[in-house]
Amino acid sequence: MGGVVLETLSNRKLSILAVSLLLLLFVFFLIGGLVAPAPSSVMNMLTTKCYDKHVYAHEKKWYIPRGLHACDQIDDLSNPVVNDKRIEASMVVFSLWLPYPRENKQLNMSRWFQNMLTVIQMDIEHHDNNPLSKYTNATMRMEVRLGYRNQQDNESDWKELISTHEDRPLRCDTDRVKDDYYRCELLSFFELGSVHYDYYLINIRLPVYQSKDVNLGLGTIKDIHIITIFQNGGFTKVWFSLKTTMFPVIIAVLVWFWRRVKLLSRQPNLLERTLLTLGIVLSIMNCPLEWFTLWFNLPWMSILSDIRQGAFYATLLSFWMIFAGEHIMVVPKNNLRSYWKHLTSVVFGCVCMFVFEMCEKGMQLANPFYTIWVSETGTQLALAFIILAGIAACTYFLFLSYMIYRVFKNISAKKTALPQMSNLRKNFYLGLIFRFKFLMVLTLLCAALTVIFFIISQVSEGQWKWGDDGISLEYSSAFLTGSVYGMWNVYVIGLLSLYAPSHKQYTQTNDTSDGSQEEEVQLTQIPTETSAMTSFISKEAQE
Amino acid sequence: MGHRTNDLRTSVTQLYNNPSLLPLTKKQKKLVTRNPGSIMAIAKGAKMAIDECKYQFKNRRWNCPTYVDGHGGSIFGKILNTGCRETAFIYAATSAAVSHSIARACSEGSIHTCSCDFEHNKVPVGKDWEWSGCSDNARYGHKFSRRFVDVLEKGRDFRYMMNLHNNEAGRVHVSSGMKQECKCHGMSGSCTIKTCWMRLPPFRNIGHILKDRFDGASKVLPGNTGRAVKRKRRRFNFSPVNPNHKRPGRRDLVYFEHSPTFCEKENMIGFEGTAGRECNSTSLGVNGCDLMCCGRGYKSETFPVKERCHCTFHWCCQVKCQVCTRLKVRNTCL
Repeated sequence: MGGVVLETLSNRKLSILAVSLLLLLFVFFLIGGLVAPAPSSVMNMLTTKCYDKHVYAHEKKWYIPRGLHACDQIDDLSNPVVNDKRIEASMVVFSLWLPYPRENKQLNMSRWFQNMLTVIQMDIEHHDNNPLSKYTNATMRMEVRLGYRNQQDNESDWKELISTHEDRPLRCDTDRVKDDYYRCELLSFFELGSVHYDYYLINIRLPVYQSKDVNLGLGTIKDIHIITIFQNGGFTKVWFSLKTTMFPVIIAVLVWFWRRVKLLSRQPNLLERTLLTLGIVLSIMNCPLEWFTLWFNLPWMSILSDIRQGAFYATLLSFWMIFAGEHIMVVPKNNLRSYWKHLTSVVFGCVCMFVFEMCEKGMQLANPFYTIWVSETGTQLALAFIILAGIAACTYFLFLSYMIYRVFKNISAKKTALPQMSNLRKNFYLGLIFRFKFLMVLTLLCAALTVIFFIISQVSEGQWKWGDDGISLEYSSAFLTGSVYGMWNVYVIGLLSLYAPSHKQYTQTNDTSDGSQEEEVQLTQIPTETSAMTSFISKEAQE
Repeated sequence: MGHRTNDLRTSVTQLYNNPSLLPLTKKQKKLVTRNPGSIMAIAKGAKMAIDECKYQFKNRRWNCPTYVDGHGGSIFGKILNTGCRETAFIYAATSAAVSHSIARACSEGSIHTCSCDFEHNKVPVGKDWEWSGCSDNARYGHKFSRRFVDVLEKGRDFRYMMNLHNNEAGRVHVSSGMKQECKCHGMSGSCTIKTCWMRLPPFRNIGHILKDRFDGASKVLPGNTGRAVKRKRRRFNFSPVNPNHKRPGRRDLVYFEHSPTFCEKENMIGFEGTAGRECNSTSLGVNGCDLMCCGRGYKSETFPVKERCHCTFHWCCQVKCQVCTRLKVRNTCL
């Protein structure tokens, strides 16, 4: 390995670079904390209970909760009038128009929202004579229709997105007789990868089929709340801007790095190739493809983002492994094949996560209501994949720890041997040790920062602010822009610029102050050095 | 209002159409016309408060009687003009119910003017729905209830302060009874992104809490502390009659008059007394015949009732039952 910029850079330049990178990172955090709103918003809405005596006759009818074409409504299902009018369970349609009206105008969903997911919260009243059947595992069958409409469309002109029936198990309990309502777990409802239309309309029916044992033993359902979570438009705007700015920056650094490598007389070594790959994968992740969602309906974009992000993390993990391996200071292996055992764990873990992702989100492309967690086998399958991925992650960290342990062992062995070495070899080893320790500290710092910010954002999210005052920092946004996005970008920029081969050996210009010292540190041709090192090591081994 | 009339809503429309049940002041009318749809929610809230009051007090001598003919200007009768515990409960329950019901109507989308202030302290420059979404509905309900319920209190006397305090206490219980729920939706469903929201409690829960506060309400000294120090509107400095007791907080109910025994007919508050009330001959509590009938004794009668039995229930509406006849014992106070 030749000398890298990190070793040859004067302290002044190094600190300038470090400070500017830190400032960049700080800017990322500030943008997240001060400019961006919270990453997502939530609408907690109550469905309107429509009724239609001829519900079967008009299978394709939409039930709209408000406006000119509003349906006939029931306020309270326990009202005796409901029985007098002979309304049955199958005639009731729970309907919801997303979003709600506010400040005297009907709000509309925006394409900036990117994605939205909904969960259902059931209000089931506790009656001793009509209990929720606990032992037969009450399953609710919903006949759902999801429609959409744009602002300029006719008010009754709803178009169908999907019409399906879905089973959801009700997991409820009641802890005391005094409680009027069961405490039910939230039910996942649907998830859309793109919010392309202005309004969405949900119609849910819970028909009872006595003979088929469908929707029996559900208790007394009073209301259905639908909670919609979507990414905030402001957050998307900030996120897109970050991506759009960082994309060319990374490309520029990458080009600079690769030109440096190409200038060398030798073939690029494994570490350089890995760094290049890392940079390329990061650019792919940064590529602001999401802009297209503002014009086209691209529900698969969120899967693509997840995959790109996953690919980046996989490359980063592989890079760490290879970096440690190449610094063991026995013979650098310099080819990818010798790392197959270690990299298999990364690839295996990623494949597991990919399969899980495709089972959940991939299926949702076809049916937004699909979720792997509702069926027994699905849950087991999903858990199996997650556990496998966890095992892969553990194996990876064991490998990595072992490698780092070996590096440190070698370092201490080298340190004792250092005084007897020739100047050239001594500097070579000092360089190696410095490079390794530097990356080690940097990586640990980044990891620690991520963990700390993750905890802060979780804690701050958990505390509900009821009329607090002063400047509020959006910790979750700061976590996402700063730790998840900004930090790893800055990290890769740092790596690319500091671990690029130094050109000083070619220019041979004498720096004024510490130039002489720097030049001595230069280690030139790999082959001679490697042979020198191998001979040294074999000598060591003999002793 | 342009609202559809529908006989499934009769109970509500009845309330709305009958001015004696829902008499509005000028300010209230203005508020209601400016917020179309709110009148329905208020009517529902009023019904909710009445039902809850009747439910919580069904076993007590004072069983929250209501008067359709506008007894003393209010559906709850003249008891509202006194300053006893029961008054405190009614005030708290009604303002809580309005707050609850408006918040609910906002989440249903039936009031079009609910506010969208996400960061109510920040100047919302360019911060709109698209940028950062809307705030929770309960905040609007709270504000609306303040503007709707509190304007009824006029004058600057002690009762005015007591009523405002109890109104606020009711609303605070709605806000603080909200439960937080969260959902993780980060990459692959991980918790890197977590979103939380507040869930409005069923009004029955608030009723239970208010009943507890009713039992532990503090009797305060009228005017003794001079003109009670008013830091903010609706925050008064009450001092308890018993100096060993803690000062009542925001969530406590306060009163300054002793309640009557509610045994005999009370013309002052228009209460009919417990004569003719049903009681439980085996209970030792307030609903037991000894206490309920104030020692006047009770009469027992046995009569057959037709009841629905062997019912099969669905989640809604349709109930298939048989009719059984059963003998029932009824005890009524003399």
